[in-house]
Amino acid sequence: MLVQALIGFMGAITFAHIYRVPTKQLFYAGLVGSLGWTICLITRELWGEIGGVFAAATAVAICSEMLARRRRQPVLVFLIPGVIPLVPGGKAYLTMLSFLQDDYGEALVLLVTTVLLAGAVAAGIIIASSIFRLYSRAKHVRR
Amino acid sequence: MEQLVGLVLLAGELLLTCGAEMYRVEETIERMGRAAGFVQVEGFATPTGLFISLHAPNGRVYTRVRRIRRSHNNLSTIAEVNSLSRAFSEGTLTVDEVRVELERLRQEGAPESLTRQLIGGGGAMAFTLIFGGNWFEGFIAGIVGAIVLVLVTWLDRYPVPKVLQAATGAAFATALIMGISNVLPIHPDLTTLGAVMVMTPGVAMTTAIRDLLSGELLSGLSRSAEALSVFVAIATGVAMVIRLGGR
Repeated sequence: MLVQALIGFMGAITFAHIYRVPTKQLFYAGLVGSLGWTICLITRELWGEIGGVFAAATAVAICSEMLARRRRQPVLVFLIPGVIPLVPGGKAYLTMLSFLQDDYGEALVLLVTTVLLAGAVAAGIIIASSIFRLYSRAKHVRR
Repeated sequence: MEQLVGLVLLAGELLLTCGAEMYRVEETIERMGRAAGFVQVEGFATPTGLFISLHAPNGRVYTRVRRIRRSHNNLSTIAEVNSLSRAFSEGTLTVDEVRVELERLRQEGAPESLTRQLIGGGGAMAFTLIFGGNWFEGFIAGIVGAIVLVLVTWLDRYPVPKVLQAATGAAFATALIMGISNVLPIHPDLTTLGAVMVMTPGVAMTTAIRDLLSGELLSGLSRSAEALSVFVAIATGVAMVIRLGGR
């Protein structure tokens, strides 16, 4: 598990560098990615693959919003590297492979799974971010 | 006044070319315009164009349109423009200081270096490991991933569309790994998968979600389309080579 957490950290921090995250924030971006990937691995056992990705994406988005406020950075700086390990690249690849091998039945199943996984990432981000948006709007109104 | 309009426009343009969310672009324009003393500030941003209209206290209206043709991923520019605009509206930075900084950011564009591409290779390695490859496969994926990034960066200097860049990079990576897998004991699929992941349109994907969430349907959809077309291009590149390679 520790090795997996490290791999998640590495994936997030390197992709953060590809997208040119400010150097000072790189470490935190990696941390968010590591957390997301670890949560995904744990909850996947409990709630299945899609549930795991959804839980992880929600956690990543919550952490990114909190870090962004604390460190006065745009949310994207933490959110983009954080969700990178959750992108269903493997499933997308297998989908393409099945289409190539004329195995359309399998390909369609994989395609639907890929779309659902991507949807789970999006749903996680949307739910967490809208809660934060509501919260900051409420604070704004009270002032 | 003329200069202030240029300043607001430049800030918006920088944010757009670096892949910021639309609400951030419009909010920054609004914040800077108000701080610059305009009574009414209207900004409308799409991924390919920016329209601003600033009403001066003396009744004059300044309207500018800026077409955005090229974009790159540079989150640190977004972060810097963001804090610059905040400092400007709080009055801790003067107009000239902000202009100097914004000009510097525009000149910088998206700095490329071999280090960045090598570190990107590390990303390819991490992905092969995430998808269950062993360390050796990860290492090969890392090297190929770095080469792919160098190739894509080189292509980006010419007017090659993003989709074609991705397809070329993916085809090149697949061919390279297919060749290596004949000699070394690696799983070609896991290794290829890691190597092509370095081209994932992560910024477009995430901003698309956030744009849709904040009700920016136009840019949300166009960015989803951008991300999807890059994914399809990668798949096409890989598929072509696998077919030609006779698997």
